Amino acid sequence: MPNNGPNGSEPLIRMVNIRKSYGQVQALVDANFHVNEREIVGLLGDNGAGKSTLIKVLSGAVPLTSGDIFIRGKKVDLRNTGDAIAHGIETIYQDSALVTQLSIARNLFLGREPLKGPRFLNRMDQAAMNDVASGLLKKVGISKNIPPTTPIGSLSGGERQAVAIARAMHFDSDLIILDEPTNNLGVAETQGVLNFVRGARDSGHSCIFIAHNIHHVFQVVDRIVVMRRGKVVADDIDPKKTTVEEVERIITGMSEADIKAAVS
Amino acid sequence: MENRSIVRKLIARPEFGPFVLLVLEIAVFQTLNHNFLSPQNISNTLAFTVELGLIALAMTLLMTSGEFDLSVGSVFGFSAVLMWTLFNAGVTSLEVGFLLTLVTAALIGFVNGVFVTKLKIPSFLVTLGMLLVVRGTALFVTDGFPQRTWNAEGNWLAELLVGDFFIGPFRLYMSLVWFILAIVVLGYILTQSRVGNWIQAAGGNPNAAAARGVNVTRVKIGLFMLSSAMAALAGIISSIRTSSANPNSGTGYELEVIAMVVIGGTALMGGRGTIIGTVLGILILRVMRNGIIMVGVPGLAYNIFIGAIILGMMALHSWLERRHRAGT
Repeated sequence: MPNNGPNGSEPLIRMVNIRKSYGQVQALVDANFHVNEREIVGLLGDNGAGKSTLIKVLSGAVPLTSGDIFIRGKKVDLRNTGDAIAHGIETIYQDSALVTQLSIARNLFLGREPLKGPRFLNRMDQAAMNDVASGLLKKVGISKNIPPTTPIGSLSGGERQAVAIARAMHFDSDLIILDEPTNNLGVAETQGVLNFVRGARDSGHSCIFIAHNIHHVFQVVDRIVVMRRGKVVADDIDPKKTTVEEVERIITGMSEADIKAAVS
Repeated sequence: MENRSIVRKLIARPEFGPFVLLVLEIAVFQTLNHNFLSPQNISNTLAFTVELGLIALAMTLLMTSGEFDLSVGSVFGFSAVLMWTLFNAGVTSLEVGFLLTLVTAALIGFVNGVFVTKLKIPSFLVTLGMLLVVRGTALFVTDGFPQRTWNAEGNWLAELLVGDFFIGPFRLYMSLVWFILAIVVLGYILTQSRVGNWIQAAGGNPNAAAARGVNVTRVKIGLFMLSSAMAALAGIISSIRTSSANPNSGTGYELEVIAMVVIGGTALMGGRGTIIGTVLGILILRVMRNGIIMVGVPGLAYNIFIGAIILGMMALHSWLERRHRAGT
């Protein structure tokens, strides 16, 4: 079983026999999945393979029908996105879950704004928020000099992803889930996002990276997991030892023997 | 160069357009009728302006959170009727009647909020229904007749709410003090407080806000209660000042209030709101109402001007928004 971490310890996240059905439709059929500490996992699969559902279950967006989720060996119950965030699981969706009208700093601290002065005044410490935001923007590598008071609406897609990743890093999420972060991005921006992801791992976070573009996945992940028809069909593909074509064949579906041949 | 960029920043603010319009309006009316800026006319205009203004300020926060309330006009009329009925019938003192009325109004707002957030019905439908329920209740309770109000003479609460005083030649009402206080408090909440950040996020992207642990439901219900309570306060103040509590009063105010808010630059769909803008919007509409009568335009033509202002301002805001997006 490849369920254990590098030195036999419990992985960061372990999902066991996850089932999810929408009425008659079985979206997940006994899916098993894990993420180790400081690891970037690429989750691949065709449309309807179940990757979105698996991620939604893990981020608390939809309840699972049956199965167990463990975080560092401890069983957890993720009933809503708030539960997941409290357990250190942060999901960054395509629309990056930012409020376009609010500034970068206000988005970074949304829901956890620092206060100053007497409590009853409920006064946000905007100076502190802007300070931290500036530092974070540098850390994730937004090179242009963007002030933290800039509204999200005037940022590019890549910059928005960076803000969302910066937020996850700042609040010490153990696991950052990126759902199609490179969609609709230009070449330079995509490289930027891939750098943010590497940076997040290097500072101790784990990531799940979902993308249609397998080449993007190959550039950044430590391990590739492939899903098909609600099941995890390969969960230990090393991108350094496998070719894009081989993974594509696994995604589209081949015989079990072929998969084993490709994985080993 | 430094000065130029400050001017540019000022022009880019959503309040800039309304500000220019207000100055223009005042200049035109003053040129056409020199009594326009007389102390007496200013005092007269301000008296009712601040009463509607109280509702518009609360509505600004509610609309920033992505909802609006069509029942404020009927709550305005109903509240005065309720308080004076309680008082005249000897059921309660004026003070207790006042408190009971505010609580009732907040409860109406609470019901609005629950229908909108829990049952996920658009605020347009919920508050339209509430408008009819509240207005109907006011008419039914009073048989359609105005309530007596003149017993309030000399009561401390009535003095505190609308007592008049003179500053130089200006006759002002206490309601102006409440209005200014509301500007300061609500402006602070919207721009400086943590709750203000939640209000804007709730209107801008409710899913994102909820995902960050913001209780969007509670924020919205609170704001519905606030707008209803402010409408009640405005209705009571107005009834004491004019010595009449008419079950039909406040009809159509909801639309005028919403117009004030959007003219000021608050987004109808939420996410962006400005209290300063709303203050300008309030003044623009009330100055227009007063001014066109002063310069001899038939009062019936009032709506033509208001409609034109709304259309013009919306065009300006959308143009600014597009320029802003383009990053210029």
